[in-house]
This record gives sequence, C-alpha cells and structure tokens, in this order.
Amino acid sequence: MPSAAPTQLWLVVALICGPIIFGLLAWLAQSERTRNILVITATCLTALAGVALAVQGPFMLQAGPGTGHLGDLLEAVMVAVVLGIGYKQKIWPVFAMGIVQAGLVVFEHLGKGAESANPTFILDSLSTILVLIISIVGSVIVVYGIGYMHVHEHHAPPTTASTGRFFFFLTGFLGLMNGLVLTDSLKWLAIFWEGTTLCSFFLIGHDRTPEARRNAARALIINVFGGMSLGFGVALAQHEGGNGSISNMVQSAALLPLVLVVLATFTKSAQMPFQSWLLGAMVAPTPVSALLHSSTMVKAGSYLLLRLAPGFVGTNLATVIALSGAFTFAVTSAIAISQSNAKKVLAYSTIANLGLIVACAGIGTPMAYSAALVILVYHAISKALLFLCVGTIEQQIGSRDIDDMSGIMLKMPYTTTIAAVGMVSMMLPPFGMLVGKWMAIASSGHAPIVLLLLVIGSALTIFFWAKWLGRIITTAYHDHYTVENLPFSMKGALSLLVLMVIAGGAMTGVIYRNYLSPLAKVTMSGSPLANDSSVLLKSVDEFMGWPLITIIVVVAGVVLMALLGLRNSHTRLPFLCGENTPSGTRTFVFRSLMDQPVTAHVSSFYFAPWFGEIGITKWANPVAVLILLTLFVRIGLI
Amino acid sequence: MNKLTLAIGAVVLAPFIGGLIQGFDRVLTARMQGRKGPPLLQPFYDILKLLRKERVVVNSQQILYAYMHLAMMVLALFMLFMGQDALMLLFILAFSTLSLVLGGMSVRSPYSRIGAQREIMMMVAYEPILILMVIGMYLVNGNFRLQAVFEAERPLLLSMPLLFLAYLTVVMIKFQKSPFDLATSHHAHQEIVKGLTLEFAGPCLGVIEIAHCYEVAFFLGLVGLFWLSNFWIAAVLMGGVFVLSLLLDNLCARLTTIWMFRFMWSVALGLALTNIVWLYWH
Amino acid sequence: MKDKVRFDKSPWVVHFNCNSCNGCDIELLACLSPLYDLERFGIVHVGNPKHADVLVVTGSVNYRNARVLKNVYDQMPHPKVVVAMGVCAATGGVFRECYNVLGGVEKVVPVDVFVPGCPSRPEAMMDGILQAAAKLDEKRRNPDVPVAVSTDTVVRLPAPEAARPALPADTASALATPMEKIA
Repeated sequence: MPSAAPTQLWLVVALICGPIIFGLLAWLAQSERTRNILVITATCLTALAGVALAVQGPFMLQAGPGTGHLGDLLEAVMVAVVLGIGYKQKIWPVFAMGIVQAGLVVFEHLGKGAESANPTFILDSLSTILVLIISIVGSVIVVYGIGYMHVHEHHAPPTTASTGRFFFFLTGFLGLMNGLVLTDSLKWLAIFWEGTTLCSFFLIGHDRTPEARRNAARALIINVFGGMSLGFGVALAQHEGGNGSISNMVQSAALLPLVLVVLATFTKSAQMPFQSWLLGAMVAPTPVSALLHSSTMVKAGSYLLLRLAPGFVGTNLATVIALSGAFTFAVTSAIAISQSNAKKVLAYSTIANLGLIVACAGIGTPMAYSAALVILVYHAISKALLFLCVGTIEQQIGSRDIDDMSGIMLKMPYTTTIAAVGMVSMMLPPFGMLVGKWMAIASSGHAPIVLLLLVIGSALTIFFWAKWLGRIITTAYHDHYTVENLPFSMKGALSLLVLMVIAGGAMTGVIYRNYLSPLAKVTMSGSPLANDSSVLLKSVDEFMGWPLITIIVVVAGVVLMALLGLRNSHTRLPFLCGENTPSGTRTFVFRSLMDQPVTAHVSSFYFAPWFGEIGITKWANPVAVLILLTLFVRIGLI
Repeated sequence: MNKLTLAIGAVVLAPFIGGLIQGFDRVLTARMQGRKGPPLLQPFYDILKLLRKERVVVNSQQILYAYMHLAMMVLALFMLFMGQDALMLLFILAFSTLSLVLGGMSVRSPYSRIGAQREIMMMVAYEPILILMVIGMYLVNGNFRLQAVFEAERPLLLSMPLLFLAYLTVVMIKFQKSPFDLATSHHAHQEIVKGLTLEFAGPCLGVIEIAHCYEVAFFLGLVGLFWLSNFWIAAVLMGGVFVLSLLLDNLCARLTTIWMFRFMWSVALGLALTNIVWLYWH
Repeated sequence: MKDKVRFDKSPWVVHFNCNSCNGCDIELLACLSPLYDLERFGIVHVGNPKHADVLVVTGSVNYRNARVLKNVYDQMPHPKVVVAMGVCAATGGVFRECYNVLGGVEKVVPVDVFVPGCPSRPEAMMDGILQAAAKLDEKRRNPDVPVAVSTDTVVRLPAPEAARPALPADTASALATPMEKIA
C-alpha cells in the first residue's frame, strides 16, 4: 500500500476535522442564514473530500510526531466527559463505567511509561466504501435537516436545545465516523468510538423531554458499556504483544481481545440484547434517526465486525456470531410485524438487517462477506431515504402511525412515491437489499440453524414491508390531510437519495462485480469454505449478467405499458354492494340503515398476540444473552 | 441456444397448458359434484372475453400491478427453463405475487384489502417451505442452479420425500384450492366477495387470469422437477398431485388464515425441516 | 379476429335481489345445482358487478333500492345486459300498487330480456340468460343503444304514477348521474 501524498493528508484532515470545525462555527453562528450556509459548506466539503479521497485510491498515512500525545489528551477528555455526564445527570452506571475506563487509561500509561504511538490512517477498499457512505448519504441527511429543523423549531417542546448545537453534533458525527473508519490504530478507534457515542447521546436527548432524556441515558449506558468492552479488548491486545493496530489484531491468534471487541460492535450495531437503545433513539428529530440508522453509528459496529471478520473466520467464535446475527434477524423481523409505529418498524428493520450483516460476517465465506457488503451499502441508502420520508410524512400529517398513512399517495404524491420506491428497494429485485439477502441465504447452506432463522426472517420481512407499502399507496384518506409543501432542502435531499436508490438498483451488477465481490474474495480467502463458495459465487456472477438486466428491462417495459394502457381506461367507484355515497368518494363510506353513512375501517394485520414486542422480547433477550455467553464459553474462558 | 429455444417455447406454450389444466380442473370438479361442467376450453373463452371488455379501473395504478404480476410470472417461468438460480427464482415469484397484492391494496375497497392481506399471509406461510425446498436441492446437488437439477441422474423425490409432501401444501395454496382459498376464490363469494381480484375488471382481470395460467403451469411443472429422469413417472406424479388437489378442494371447507398459518408453520415446515436435517446427515 | 370473440360462451352473471320474495332467487340458485348445471354453458355466478356481463334482477324496484340497482349496473363494464327475472322485476308484480314501489326494473336500468313467471322456472331462467348473452356481441359494437326485447308475452302495465310521492332528492340525482361522473 503506497504511503499518502500531501493532498491525501489534507483530504483526511478535511474529512475528519472539517465537519467538526464548521459544525462548531454553525453552533456559534448568530442568524439562521449564516448557520445554514455553514452547514451546507460542511456537508459539501465532506462529500467532495470523500469522493476525492475515494478516487485517488488506497494509501497509508503515518501521522506526524506529537499526534500520539494528542491521542492521550483526547482519550482523557472523552473519559472526563463521560464521567461528567454520568455525574451531572445522575446516570450512575455510566459514572461507574467511566471510573473503570479512567482506571484503565491510568493503568495503561503507568504500565508502558510515557511512550505513545502515533496513529496510522489507512484507506483500503472497505474504508473507501464506508467513507463514501458516510460522506455522501450522511451529508444528504444533514442537508435535509436544515429544512426539517426549521419546522421542528416551531413545534418543539420549550426544553429543546438550540438548533445550532444540534447541527454541531450532526456534522461532528460525520467527522468522527470518517475518523473511525479511516484509522488503523486501536487507540484512535476507541477515541472516535467514544466520540460517536457522546454525539448520539446529545442528539437523542435533543428535545430534552423526560422521554428523550431517558432514552438518551439508555443509549449512553449501552454504548459506554460497549466502549468499555472495546477499551478492555484494546488493552488486552496490547498486553498480549500487539502493536496497537487493527490489522495486527486481525492477524493475531489471541481470541479474548477479539471477543471483547466483537461485544463492543454488537452494542454499537444494536444486536439483541442491546437493541433497546436504537429503538429509543427515535424520539430524536428525524435527521438524527436517519443518521444513526443508515450511514453512521450502527454502521460503525458492522464496519468493525467486517474489519475483524478475517480474524475469527473458521474459529468457534464465527459460528456463534453467525447464530447471534441470524437470531436477531429473525426475531426483530417478527416484532416488526406487530408494530404500527412507522419509525419503530424502520428501527426493527434496521436491527434485522444489521443482524443479517453480523450473520454474514460470522458465516465468513467470500460469498457471505460480499452479501454483508451489499447489504451495508444498499441499506444505508434505502434506510436513510425511508427515515427521511417518514419524517416528512410525520411533519405533514402529524402522525407516525402506519394506519394513519392510508391514502397519502393522493395528498403527498411526491413523498409517497419516493417512500414507495424506498420500500420496494428493501425487498424486491433488482435492488441490492434483495440480492444481499439472497446471497446470505445461499451461503448459509452449511449451517442449518442459521439457515432456518434466515429463511423465517426473510419471509417475515416481506410481510411488514408489503403491508405498509399497500397502506400508503391506497386511495382512501382522511379529509383533513393537506397537500404537501416541502422546503427546498428536504425536497432536494429526498430527490438525491431516491436517485441514488434507483441508480444503485440499476447498477447492482456493476457495483457488485467491480467493487464488492473482489474485496470479499481477497478478504475472505482464508475461509475454510472458500472453495464451495466459489461455485455459488459463479452463480451470482452469472445472475449479475443478463438475468439482472432482463429484470430491469421488464420492469421498465411494464411501467411504460401501464402508462399506455391508461389512456383508454374508465374510472369507476369501488364495489361497496351498491351503497357508495357520493360524499365518501375518497374513503370507505357506505350507506347503511336509514341511509346513514357509515365508515368502514380496515386495519392492517398486526398479530400482536403472536409477534408482540413485549411478549417476544421477554424470552428473546435472555436467549440472546445466552448466545453471547457462549462466545466466552467457546474460547474457554468460562 | 437449445436451452433458449426451449425456454421461449415454454413461455409461449405455458398459458395454453395452464388454461387446459384449469379447464380440466373445472370439468373434473363438476364431475365430482355430479354435474356436467363447462367445455374443456372454457378458461380460454373466459380470458378472451375479459380481454375484449371495457377497461374499467378504480385507480390508474391498478393496470401497472396487473401487468407487473404477469410479466414477473413469465420471467420466472423463463428463468426456470434457463436453469437459473432457484433461490432468485423464488424472489421473482414473490415479486409477481406482491404486485397482485399491491394492486388489491391500492383500491379503497375493504373486501379487496382484506383479500390482499390474506394473500400476504399466505405468502409468508409458504415462502419458507419453498426456500427450504431449494435448499434441499442445493444439499442434494451442491448447487443452487436448476441446471444442476436438470443434469442430476438420481430423482429428487428419493432424497426429499418429506419436502415433496410439504410442497404439496404450497401447490394447494397457489392453486387457490380449499382449505386455502382465502384470498380470492372461484367458488365462494359470501365472505369477501372476490377478495384480492375484486376491483380488477375486464382486460386487467384477463391479464391476471393469464398470469394464473402461468402460475398453474409453473407450480405443476415444479412437481415434475422431483422426477426428471423419466418423463412418464414425472407425468404420473403431476397428474396425481393435480387430482389430489381437486379431491381435497371438494372435500374441505375453507378455513381461517390463522389456521392456515399454524398448519403451514408447524406441519408443513416441520416436514420440510425434518427432510433438511436428514439431508445433512447424509 | 376482433369479431371472433364469442361473448355468449362465457356470460358471467351477477344476481341482484331488489325487492323479491326470494321465490325467484331460490329458483335461480336451483339452476346452479347438478340437475340444471348452469356452468355447462360457461355461465359463472359471480358476486360482484365488476366481473359480470349479465345482471339478473329479481323483484320489483322501490324507492330505497333504485339507487343501489343503478349503482350496481353502472359498475359493470361494457358490454353488459340486464335480465329481469320474474313478474315483479318486469312490472312490479303483486307489489305494483304498494306505496313504496316504483315498478319494474325497466324504470331504472335498460332491460334486455324479460323472463316471466312467478317464480320463473329454472328452464326459462337459463333460456333468458342465454338469450341475453347472445346480445352481448351486438352491444359491444353499439354500447350506447340499449336493446330491450321481451321473450314472452309479459303484460307491462304502467305504474300509477300520480298517486306516488316524488323520489327523494339524492335518489333522483343518483339515478340521473352516471357513476363515471362521480368517480
């Protein structure tokens, strides 16, 4: 890997520090106009720097002298902030874990003397993918936030923190995430890791309502726990003779540090039993949920797991990780069926897809790894789009209940069409999500239990998406819904994302062949099943040829034909046994006894007794804990 | 090239075969009930008539969904004969059914909505079994491509007898036969009128009927996949499954969705899983 | 090719009971039984007007159901025919003089075939439906001209209009407006 040119150095600096500095300026800005300009500058800078860096190709960057001490300083600051929050807000578990972390830092420095290694930054294929997701999708979400927060400010509870602060954390998040995926030194990874945790804490608690505070505290507890686990993992890796880089950790045979870090990735990517913080995160304004769920935060966990995957492939650990991911996938897909809250459905779907990524990382064949990459990329785009759509719809109709979204197709055609495209992209060919799921199932043929869980989860996934999609495209709506009127930034962000979804869907084959599949083949060449996997991969490669193009052509052709067929068709009222009322042309109103109008209500199927959140979580969480404990059993610790 | 000709031939012939099967279905059902029944070609008369009728819709999206349903069904059949990846085939099939479901959901008719939701339930109920069947094929042949099944010498039925039984329930669902004719049905309209297809009229309904011809041909064809090495045994297998489905249709009452879901995810899924586990042991 | 399609090969029937005593309805259902087996002519009894070619009406039309009858008729796609089954559907029958009865089906929708009888015999019903189906082709070429012919000598008495109250306003407007306009 070539070492970095000066331009690349500056691009890295721009990617990490740029958003943070501009975010800080935006916080300090007096007028909304200045703030918006600064935020847009920050996002443009991030997006451009990300693309420029990706274009220039891989490199390795050894940071200059003195940065090692900066790392020590930052580490201390992070611990201090955690301690401060824990103490001030009386979140005692966080305070306790903060003390443990402080002890760890002190111990480490005493043990090793004053010497601290300078950080290394590397850009390989995996980090390129992540940088692109963060800097493009993340930036689009921030731009959306400008229009969204303008409205939100007027409706928000009086306790809300300032919008400037909100944007600081939002853009700062991007910078920290960029750092997280670019660094190769474990210590800096832990710093960025802690930084994203703190950012998410402030963002979730933005409205400062009791609920927001509670959920923010929960997110902090779980993620600081993960951070602590990461800290121990890092310390142990150093102790066992590692040189403090991630690549070294992957190569070393020591499993205990690996398990600790894997545990940290589970908390960050909200795997069961740690899922509750991500569900609580939806009290925050929509751009936050979009950011946490799609391009940042949860993707930090999946990224690190994928980074470490070659380290545990073929070991006992891998089976447990695969099982744990598949279990999360099946269970959360089931719970999503019973939810009527749109954001909650999205949240459970996020957790499910992250579970799929984890399962793929655990299976560890080249095919599974490329499946994980495909899901990672396409999920980021589609989920960002869906969250932004739900946020828009919620602002317009004042509800996030799925049943209330009936018929918005007629009142908000723009947003609804985009949302429909987003939902279709989550479950149908030729979009990447389905390709990913397909490859995941195909590559799990050797692990029967994982396979069964994936199969069940995949069937359940169709259920909740189809149900919801059917609800929004229907043509019966409440009378008080008004025609949408979106500010430019929201409209622009939605359009950009939907274009990315469609272009990504059309180019699934190209992206898979040129970028994802080669990466997976190289990374996972050590897998014991690599040979079997190559047979399957051939099948996928072939599908990426003419069959995929055929699907795209057929879909396009049908859309065209339907448009043509529309010309000579006549519209009639639906059949309501002859009792339609002229006034109720847009709802299920029919005439009943004494000619009085009666409105029929058709609810979606939820199956709450079967798939209810509380009922399932009650037994699923202990099971998930048990699976995680077997991680430690497997390496002989218990 | 030969494969391509075969696939195109199949796509052209399938609606005729499917239509004939359905005609035969109606005659046989009538005979079972002591009636004379319609002419054998009745499904073709029906479809031709429907295509000539006025194009009546409730909303403009409907046409899209009807066409998409048919197009994806045709594509699925085409890919079956091209020996493509079986798992992907299932997803395309799901796309087809889902288009119909969306068509049913897009109209503001309570009957149609209920029918559509039941159809989703049915999809969720049979999808795992189909996927497990494909996994079974993979375990037997070491490849997800149907080409491997075509080339295998040992009949699949010998390795996957229980999966075959589980698949029969899927056939019953896809043929819209009792006790699974929940979403839309030819026989009973007391409950949800015509359910899913209620608001499709004229040519749109015709398109859906054609798609159903493809569906019937496709799923009966999959039965033949279980014994490909000998044409006659495959034919007997398909005929047997067909008559059995009619017999059950006339014997059973329509049951509830919950019952169906329980049955499919316990008995049928259990059978499929047992077979899969058995395949692992070998 | 265009004219080769035989609509009479598959007439799908929707049955609407206006105000009937159920006599005709039971006879119509008897047609579906093995003894008569309507399906041998390709006739299917569908539950909804969207799929139907033939509208079979039994019973007389009254103020309340006139609107419903019109609605059902309007929802059928062209070409479509109407069969008035039994004497009530033809003229109002024994209910003709009732205060709430408008008269026969013809008052609301154009009738193509009248089948007499109280109730009509199943044989007559089948004959009526098949005769109506034979008109479908003609109707497709010429959808705007309703053809009303009776098969038998049905005495169509004018209903005593003068003694009746006026139609309720919304019923009258519903009858006047074709369904396409509302949608």
